[in-house]
Amino acid sequence: MTTTAPPVLASAPERAIPPAPGRTARLLRVLIAPKTLIVAAVAGITGYLALVPLLYLFYGTFFDESGFTLGGFQRAYSANGIGQLISNSVLFAIGAAALSLVVGTALAYLNVRTDVSFKPLFFAASMIPLIIPGILYTVAWIFLASPDIGLLNKILEPVFGPGVFDVFTIWGMIWVEGLHLSPIVFLLMVAAFRSMDPSLEESALMSGATRWATFRKITVPLVRPAIVASILIMAVRSLESFEVPVLLGLQDGIYVFTSRIYFVLRSYPPDLAAAGALAGGLLVVAVLGVLLSSRVGKNSKSFQTVTGKGFRPRPMELGKWRPLAGVLIVGYFLMTVVAPLAVLLYTSLLKFYVAPSVEAVKTMGLDNYRELAGLSQAGTALKNSLILGLGTATLVMFLMAIAAWIVVRSKVRGRGVIDQLSFVPLVIPGLVLGLALSFVYLRSPVPIYGTIFILLIAYVTRYMPYGMRYVVTSMQQIGAELEESAQVCGASWWQTFRRVLLPLLTPGLLAGWVYILVVSFRELSSSILLYSPGNEVLSILIFEQFENGQFTVLAALGVVMVLTLVVLVIIAYKLGAKVGLKQD
Amino acid sequence: MHRSTTRLAAGLLVLGLGLAACGGSPTASDQSSEKGSNGAAEALFAEVGALSGQERRDALVAKAEKEGELTIYTSMTADIAASVVEAFEDTFDVKVSLYRAGSETVLQRVLQEQKAKFYGNDIVESNANEMFVLAKEGDLAEYVGERRELVPDAGKFEGWTASRFNLFSPSWNTDLIKGLGEPKSWEDLADPRFDGKLAMELGDYDWYLTLYGYWQKQGKSEAEIDKLFADMADGAKIVKGHTVQGELLSAGQFAVVASNYTYLVEKVKQKGAPVAYTPLVEPVIARPNGVGLMKTAAHPAAAMLFYDWLLEEGQQVLAENGITPSIAPAKDPLEGVEVIPVDIEKLLDENEKWAKKYEAVVQGGEQVKK
Repeated sequence: MTTTAPPVLASAPERAIPPAPGRTARLLRVLIAPKTLIVAAVAGITGYLALVPLLYLFYGTFFDESGFTLGGFQRAYSANGIGQLISNSVLFAIGAAALSLVVGTALAYLNVRTDVSFKPLFFAASMIPLIIPGILYTVAWIFLASPDIGLLNKILEPVFGPGVFDVFTIWGMIWVEGLHLSPIVFLLMVAAFRSMDPSLEESALMSGATRWATFRKITVPLVRPAIVASILIMAVRSLESFEVPVLLGLQDGIYVFTSRIYFVLRSYPPDLAAAGALAGGLLVVAVLGVLLSSRVGKNSKSFQTVTGKGFRPRPMELGKWRPLAGVLIVGYFLMTVVAPLAVLLYTSLLKFYVAPSVEAVKTMGLDNYRELAGLSQAGTALKNSLILGLGTATLVMFLMAIAAWIVVRSKVRGRGVIDQLSFVPLVIPGLVLGLALSFVYLRSPVPIYGTIFILLIAYVTRYMPYGMRYVVTSMQQIGAELEESAQVCGASWWQTFRRVLLPLLTPGLLAGWVYILVVSFRELSSSILLYSPGNEVLSILIFEQFENGQFTVLAALGVVMVLTLVVLVIIAYKLGAKVGLKQD
Repeated sequence: MHRSTTRLAAGLLVLGLGLAACGGSPTASDQSSEKGSNGAAEALFAEVGALSGQERRDALVAKAEKEGELTIYTSMTADIAASVVEAFEDTFDVKVSLYRAGSETVLQRVLQEQKAKFYGNDIVESNANEMFVLAKEGDLAEYVGERRELVPDAGKFEGWTASRFNLFSPSWNTDLIKGLGEPKSWEDLADPRFDGKLAMELGDYDWYLTLYGYWQKQGKSEAEIDKLFADMADGAKIVKGHTVQGELLSAGQFAVVASNYTYLVEKVKQKGAPVAYTPLVEPVIARPNGVGLMKTAAHPAAAMLFYDWLLEEGQQVLAENGITPSIAPAKDPLEGVEVIPVDIEKLLDENEKWAKKYEAVVQGGEQVKK
């Protein structure tokens, strides 16, 4: 926590010196120094990406043809039963955030820090719910736990009577959403636990603390930045989530915020003002959250587990708890991965969904896969999605690594603003982002509209908040002394950043990269407005099959997507394991 | 420390200016209201519009094949759009680029592009509401042609012509309906025997307002009509999306769907699912989807050729895909069935009122005060 600027830039003592003839030259040298240029460029890009949609939404919220107006707020918040709406939303968001936090953290801890069995299962268990498109995951749960047709209910009926599970309740919604979100937490926490020096836990255990006390008093406080980041993302995400509230909540009349945003944006002309007013509520939550998270991070010394002292993360032995943990994992794996995926696989082999029976099995075939292969745009879409996914993930993580450096390490005044700006896109509805981008690039002399680049810009904007949270969290765990020693030894800022900080950040960078790669395959709401013939992406294909009423083909597409991404993610981790912290 | 702030600010400013120069302010040209028009396109539409029969077709084909390309924006579902484009490309030497999205998105896209004077498409094919907006905005050119004259009045509008109809009629699961009896009339859906077994769609207020108007014409009072809808919604399962509705109907999640598109149900039925929608509950409610020429078309001849073709040979392609074409074929499957069109004027003029009213109905019967 001493000087972070390389010696050539150290300016504090110089300030006292009165203007000298060489001053302009020095200033110029400072201005064109790589560090200044890179930092300024990244700050500028972050600000630009966040502000374009924000200003567009802001303008749409407060101005109409007749000038300034607050009508949007009135329309947005005067709906029937707004009180019920808010309490439903809050309960749903808190419930889903809590569930995903507990599940994601527990899985990450067991996976990284203990010698639990079935480690390979984890990977599937933590990633697959993320890969399956929301609409398929939700419908798969209807087939599993609907009181009328749910398979689980059919299985349990002889013992417990009909309708044990009811997915069409607020608890059902929390369950499905929480499980669907838990991979984000898992990835964040895996990165945090990977960077943790086990000697602290070991000391606690040696001093006679129980495992649970050690976990509660040592482990959890050490990863607090990651926990705060998870809660922040989860809460905002579940306040905005669409498929689950719409498919599970509406059936029995449970309305949440997103159903409102859907209504106001669907009409013509889209009620940007009301959408903006609703997004404003989310923005307040998000800004407070980011402030809180930087307050938590402020005492950053207390979380710095990666320091100059050498350590090798070593798994803890679970001892007699090992079998129990193993059972829990297998159970979780069955519930969240095997069951929904099996339903999808089963549906993808049928002509239309029927409950499993001997007759149903007789009608099974590969027709849906054949139809998928016959789709002319399938190849192009897969290629485009791959290019966009890899490009977005890499760009976001690189940009955000530097942005996070500005926020966490630099002493630049106003650095907190970059933190806030990078988080803004999370609260902007995808459709509004699409409208804002098409507005700007339709008027840009650079031909970006109608090319794949506009999708890239949209994706980078949308996933910037996640990238930032992943990197900031990791960086808060890394002591500044390693970078300082590099600089003392004469390394430039860029060398230090590239050769010391980036490798140390690998777990966080990789986790964020994987997350963005996976979710960018699913991005639909801004893609659908911005794509052009020839630039189709997979999510658009999914949407089309869905609109066509080809649910079984859709299930087949879901299965193909899961397989593709699982392979990609495995490769990424195999490569990633070669860099950064080594594990036994 | 101070110095670095200045540095960052300076850097941001330079970058910001650079980007602003390419980006432009988000509010810059929003006020411009004059419509872009490619005079040449409208001249061609008028010139060819005066011709008819083979002479017209020959003239169009020659010009269109010279243009060589055509960009269509449509909200047709992908499988149908694909067969339409394929058939068109097989017949003429014109390469088609197709942008496909939901009808609201298609509308957004055209409006955004037109405002920015970026003329992306030559022709647009979408739902009635959206075509109406485009016509109102003055983006659609006039089309004259003998095929248009064959379209029923409910499908002829200023600036666009219906190419197909989506039909709303109740559908049911044939296994679950046993013992309940199929719905015989729209009023039947309010019957208590369907409590907990009927599904309604979240956004079908076009269906709602049309049925409402029909019942008013039949002499029912508003109180009676409100009660009918409230009884329907009482115990109904609310679903978003017609596709999900169709899929859950065949899976047996509910027994009856109030307002699905018949062609979607037909598709599931053809795969062997236990669903049906015939005998049709009358009146069947038809929502037109139509086609319109862009005033700013870069390939006007190709666009007009596609328009002509869609109302002639294209009608057959639509029918083969289970869609109801706007020009009834010689052997009309809907012969003798009472069909009423969605009340589009009302839908557009009183959009918000009906959307709100329907929202209240599906939220559990609490009626909006008038």
